[in-house]
Amino acid sequence: MKTISLYVDKGTMLNKIAPESKIWYVIAAITIPALMGTRWAGIVLIAVSAALLLYGKVLKRTLPLLAVSGFVLLTVLIIQGMFWWGNETPLFALGPAVFYREGVNYALGILINIINILMSFCVLILTTKPSDMMENFVRRGFSPRFGYVFISVFQIIPQMTETMSTITDAQRSRGMETEGSLAVRIKAFIPLIAPVIMSSLINTKERALALEVRGFNSRKKKTFLNDEVKTAGDRYIQIALPVLIIAAAVWRVTQWLA
Amino acid sequence: MASLNIEHLKYKYPGTDRLALNDISLSIETGEFIGIIGRNESGKSSLCQAIAGLIPNFYKGAYGGKVLIDDIEVKKVPVDELCETVGTVFQNPFNQVTGAKATVYEEIAFGLENMGVPKEEMIRRIDRAMELLDISKYRDRYPFDLSGGQMQRMAIAGVIAMHPQVIILDEPTSQLDPQGREEVFQAVQKLCGQGITIILVEHNMEKIAQYSNRVALLDAGTLIDFDTPQKIFSRVDLEQYGVEAPVYTQIGKRLNLTIEDTGCYPVTLEEAKTVLLRKGGNDPVWL
Amino acid sequence: MAVIEIKDLHFSYTAEEEVIKGMNFTIDARSTAIIGQNGAGKTTFAKLLKGLLKPTKGEILLNGTSTKDMTVAMLAKQVGMVFQNPNDQIFKYQVLDEVLFGPLQIGMAKENARRKAEQALEAVGLTGLETTNPYDLGLSARKLVAVASILAMDTEVILFDEPTIAQDYAGKERLKEIVRQLRNQGKTVITITHDMNFVADAFERTIVFAGGKMIADDDTKSVFLQKDVLEKAYLEQPDVMKLCTELGWRESVLSIDEFVSAIQK
Repeated sequence: MKTISLYVDKGTMLNKIAPESKIWYVIAAITIPALMGTRWAGIVLIAVSAALLLYGKVLKRTLPLLAVSGFVLLTVLIIQGMFWWGNETPLFALGPAVFYREGVNYALGILINIINILMSFCVLILTTKPSDMMENFVRRGFSPRFGYVFISVFQIIPQMTETMSTITDAQRSRGMETEGSLAVRIKAFIPLIAPVIMSSLINTKERALALEVRGFNSRKKKTFLNDEVKTAGDRYIQIALPVLIIAAAVWRVTQWLA
Repeated sequence: MASLNIEHLKYKYPGTDRLALNDISLSIETGEFIGIIGRNESGKSSLCQAIAGLIPNFYKGAYGGKVLIDDIEVKKVPVDELCETVGTVFQNPFNQVTGAKATVYEEIAFGLENMGVPKEEMIRRIDRAMELLDISKYRDRYPFDLSGGQMQRMAIAGVIAMHPQVIILDEPTSQLDPQGREEVFQAVQKLCGQGITIILVEHNMEKIAQYSNRVALLDAGTLIDFDTPQKIFSRVDLEQYGVEAPVYTQIGKRLNLTIEDTGCYPVTLEEAKTVLLRKGGNDPVWL
Repeated sequence: MAVIEIKDLHFSYTAEEEVIKGMNFTIDARSTAIIGQNGAGKTTFAKLLKGLLKPTKGEILLNGTSTKDMTVAMLAKQVGMVFQNPNDQIFKYQVLDEVLFGPLQIGMAKENARRKAEQALEAVGLTGLETTNPYDLGLSARKLVAVASILAMDTEVILFDEPTIAQDYAGKERLKEIVRQLRNQGKTVITITHDMNFVADAFERTIVFAGGKMIADDDTKSVFLQKDVLEKAYLEQPDVMKLCTELGWRESVLSIDEFVSAIQK
């Protein structure tokens, strides 16, 4: 099964609860630390996300994603640690490079924020089937066309990658070099990209026709083969999370007033 | 009673000055298996699209005449409603996969969901369609993982689940291997047996001869002839229209062997065998 | 004339499953058709021969040199391949430019390339359409543009992948004629196809693939007489031969001409 979706069905409760609940979780995980303005809130939420991912049996799949962003995060730490405008107190030195307490501290704040956002999104993305999420949106009056575009991207991009490799083969077969210096690659650009565009235009037209004759533009009220993904607990989650967000805001206001 | 009537149909694609369909009239009975033949660009696909209402409601252009299915004039019905009357299957199975569904079962449901069919009814129709096309065993497979023949049968299942009276298939097997092709033809014949009218474009004349009740021969947008495969393939001027008769007919022509009661040349393997055996075509003496 | 030796050829995309499971044969001067079900390994074989993939074990020798030791660009001068879908290669605004692309890429001199391109367009019957945009042509004509673009490269070996798809009677006749001409010019012609009548009419030798193995290799008629082989590979006899079988003839023929003369004798 070739799809670029990261979702895997592990059969846990996280796969069964409504996608909306998980979207609320993402919103809460981002807004609560921002509203409260304290670092420990972010740390707590990272721990919560990690616990959820562990429970959902997808913590391992989170690691490669974190590793990719880890490189960027490391750069942030180095640059801020060395060059942040408020740097005063040296913390440690690696050869000629001096790291300052203020910069490192500032960078840590950014790190916590980014890791928190990444991990809460992982909770949503790794445990939710994209089509379930879209179907739920369409049920709530979202445009089915937009929903289709969103979902089909997951399946059609891998198919396009395949077309792309056939095109590369076809042009290489005619003696075209595709590897080597920049000049070679630039020269290969048009012969590779033009057929990709033409064949996707042709395929898109054919697919549009095929969708059309299956009533894609029908104005009738849609029905759904699959039942809506939700559990009894979803109602409470979708009340509790907004309440927590409001509570965080209230807490911040009282802090501010006091 | 004729269920599909085409009256003086004319059509020109936008920006061209040649009639793609030039005054075509024909009537097709319910449950017939109609083959459409002719050289490339002769108007076969345009005729299909006109019956499915894609001409003039998807492809614009100059349009004249009428296509009637029972009392419905296809031009006047939006394509998304007409799909419960006429179903269309295209050449490339791959481009008919919606790309939005994770299993064959869900894929077949796509059209039914759009038409607002209630869930219980939907399940009943999908199960029946999968059974007719013999793809029940692939129910939970990922649509893009099927072979060409299986994928094409899934596309047909998606179309027949919408319960059309007429199904149009535009070269549905040209991209398939012999086994996949045979699977599709047998499935289509089974649908025809269920009373669904079949309209099929195909370059393989042996298959056309084997499965069609009647054949429409087109050239340059004009309907040259519409008759039984025997009559059509017995025409002496066939090659003039860029069509080669089935090999069995060619053998009949060369040996001047006709079927007694119709005076036509044989068109299928069975017919060729019959006339040859009558002539004493048993094992010829070899050297 | 090119000699292609396939020696203990193995290939797999993933560690779990081999797609080509040990093949040995030699392709000679005869025009050769490779047939078999989808997934039998035909296209993979073509890509190996074209150097687009390298064998995981064993080798393909082209005139004594292993394809492993040649780059795709080097092989392009010797082996031409017409891909199934012309939309995967066409990118020029004019038919002639598209056909010239290959010859110029492999370093042919301009005037020579132009002459070859014109000859190739004549062979596929597209003379007069040199300045047309290929995407204004129908699929069948566009496929012929792709054929011409490979013919113009004047390679020793020419490989066709499903050339008859989307072709009508005239197009198929034209392809059969091209195969015969190439054969007479001493080129090695190989096709991958599902079209048994095309094989019967235009190819001297037939090789059958099934499940990544070569299960038959003989002159075309003999291969189609092996019922068990056809069954194993899910293939059919060409139509004329089916009739011979139905009539219970002791000998069988492939073409209408042969059939008619057998009866008239």
